[in-house]
Amino acid sequence: MFRENMVHIPFLTDKILLFQYGGSAVYGNPLVNVFANVPILNFILAAIFWRPLFAMLFIPGLVAIMLVLGIIIWFERKITAKVQWRYGPLEVSRSIGGVIQPLADGMRYLFQEVIVHREAHRPYFLQFPLISFLPVLLPILVIPAGEIYAIKTPYAIQIAIALVALIPIVLIAIGWASNSKYAYIGSMREVFMYFAYEIAMIIAAMAMVVAYGSGDAFVIVQKQSIVPGILVNPFACLVFFVATIMATARFPFEIPDADSEVVFGPFVEYTGIIFGVVMTLAYEKLYILSLLLSILFLGGWNGPYIVWLGDLSPAIWLFIKAFVLVMVFVFFRTVYGRYRLDQAVRIGWSSLLALSFISLGVGVCIASVGWF
Amino acid sequence: MKEISVELPVEPPLEVKSLFLPVPPGLMEESYKKDELVIFVGPQHGGSGHMRIIVRLKGDVIIEAIPDPGYVHRGMEKLAENRLYIQNVPLLERPAIMDCANFNIGYVRAIEKALDIEVPERAKYIRTILAELCRIGTHLYDAGILSVFLGHTTGFMWPFAMREMICEAMMRVSGARITASYIVPGGVRRDVGRDVLEYIREVTFFIERKTKDFEKIFIMNPVTAARLKDVATISKKDAIKYGLVGPFLRACGVEYDTRAVEPYEAYDQLSWDVVVADEGDSYARFLVRVNEIAQSISIIRQAVSILRSMPEGNVISPDIAEKKKKAKKAEGEEGEGEGKKEVKGPSDVKGKFYRYYGRLTLPPGEYTTVTEAARGTVLYTIVSDGQSTVPYRLRVVTPGWLYLKGFMESLKGCRLADLQAVYGSFGYFPPEADR
Repeated sequence: MFRENMVHIPFLTDKILLFQYGGSAVYGNPLVNVFANVPILNFILAAIFWRPLFAMLFIPGLVAIMLVLGIIIWFERKITAKVQWRYGPLEVSRSIGGVIQPLADGMRYLFQEVIVHREAHRPYFLQFPLISFLPVLLPILVIPAGEIYAIKTPYAIQIAIALVALIPIVLIAIGWASNSKYAYIGSMREVFMYFAYEIAMIIAAMAMVVAYGSGDAFVIVQKQSIVPGILVNPFACLVFFVATIMATARFPFEIPDADSEVVFGPFVEYTGIIFGVVMTLAYEKLYILSLLLSILFLGGWNGPYIVWLGDLSPAIWLFIKAFVLVMVFVFFRTVYGRYRLDQAVRIGWSSLLALSFISLGVGVCIASVGWF
Repeated sequence: MKEISVELPVEPPLEVKSLFLPVPPGLMEESYKKDELVIFVGPQHGGSGHMRIIVRLKGDVIIEAIPDPGYVHRGMEKLAENRLYIQNVPLLERPAIMDCANFNIGYVRAIEKALDIEVPERAKYIRTILAELCRIGTHLYDAGILSVFLGHTTGFMWPFAMREMICEAMMRVSGARITASYIVPGGVRRDVGRDVLEYIREVTFFIERKTKDFEKIFIMNPVTAARLKDVATISKKDAIKYGLVGPFLRACGVEYDTRAVEPYEAYDQLSWDVVVADEGDSYARFLVRVNEIAQSISIIRQAVSILRSMPEGNVISPDIAEKKKKAKKAEGEEGEGEGKKEVKGPSDVKGKFYRYYGRLTLPPGEYTTVTEAARGTVLYTIVSDGQSTVPYRLRVVTPGWLYLKGFMESLKGCRLADLQAVYGSFGYFPPEADR
């Protein structure tokens, strides 16, 4: 089974020319090739390099998400500190600027007591943080990163958007299972925000799908090889951008889990590692939406092809684009405060929705004129 | 819209009874039956300070806010009855961390009023500078708290960094970053050198420059304006009715400032404006204090330039020492009498302070002073029996306590998220209100 549809990465699998001595060349044998001859390891190795599994495990899947989580939380704290005349995380691993601070925090969460209060619906309270990973990780199945993909489907964008839209439901369920007043208020805020951004976001994404004439990420990226989507339909990009901020509760729309108002809203009762898990949820969602944003508007994995990376090259271009976007999103923390719920809902239902309809009109025009 | 009420078999949890909430009886039961939600904001809450606010919500709108203060009540008035007059100076500056000079000036002026002492001119200017530094510091502190309540962390860090300069100036003047205990009856503890004055002048320029940056990132930020404009508006009439004080009264259009109405220290010799706004909303309350920072800076610069031309020394009234001599003569006191040489040098552990102020007694009577602290009027009343070295009764009314009512009334009709915005706009400081 794991003989075809493999990821091709030259610098891992090809022989490397170490040096030439006279007429004979000496090659280094990559570690992967050594393992390929070991009985059981070769099977595991082949499984890992099998395209769908590689996409889920490495890029744009689990490892990429962990990388984003680890670095972006540190980056957010560091850039905020830079703006605010402070140092930011420094004490843990001082020589490299405290990069492993999120790891240290994770360790601390791991050894903290997990308190389940009396009023909580115990099974749901503990289940939902884990269930929340389903809608976060499932879109990875249909979001391709160049030649690395799990499922190739003409409805990739639609499926990804639909799956991402499931995340707030988990959050609302978390708030319900917490059975606390602040969690209740937080989940109600989440519900209101959900309705405020989701429609505009879906319309903006559909405007681009209409413009490209397909929901297939490969077609979309191929069509953007000359002009990226942001230049063709800037309204849709703006709507998707703002909706992403709203969807992931970033500033200035950090309303559901406003720490000074409702003390992290739905997550108020969580402690220990379970809080660590739910806290990362918004960052994971941010990463997924940034992937979609870069595929729809920034030309996806288009970029100079790097030979020795092979299939990894477009995937890394996509990752870099998404990562920069995530950096931009987290930077807003330093510039903005937070809007009130009714103001955010007003923005969502008036200007954002109107802009999304304009973008849909632009998309239909492009579709009727035909892509250049 | 017609309201539909449903009888639901729900009761408030038993714990509510043990909290001894200061609410009318039956409020909890009533709200549990209706479509209302009663939530407790505080005392363990990121946006409440050391107090509990019992908020009755209908949907997202606050219909009533009941304060439950007193979590940081330290019995300052009672404590003061057991301490010498001079020992009360460090005690009474504790309520407001950053506002120590204004709180001291009020108390010290009450003593000076009782003893009928005239403070030397130089000491008056130094006191004014210190009071204005403290005012700027408190306003910056409150601006920072407001920012972090609105989720704007940069707006929190920058004023705190600016405030650091004021702490440094206070340290150079008095030796302590905050709670300076610098102002004593009859003057100030020691003189301020020329270099320190120069530093204070530089600090004002630094703060002026950095306030411009702060204005760009927070004060003029569209999100801040959206959050604060037309929120918790108090009319001029209501402001007077609820007894608002200080900048919050001035934000409602009432031009009242104790510094202008009953000038004390050097305020009548310097030119400055009373900052007034007409809107009466949260944004006005914030902007009034921002503009007051500019006024304070101007006052400090004037005072510094006047101080520079003044001869140094003479910062404590000679009357204090004379009063002591007179008191001794009247008592026919033993121990360190007139004939005996006063102990000085290393063995004099109690120091000049004890010799001057240790046996300070006030003539019998009641002495009241009103001072304009950063957050509003602070009132001191000393009741003396004429014999003891401690006050018979000391009354402190702090601005926080005075505007708590207005704060709670203004919350009605706001949204839940506005609670923190209004809190920050009032700069409510529970330790100050609870004393």
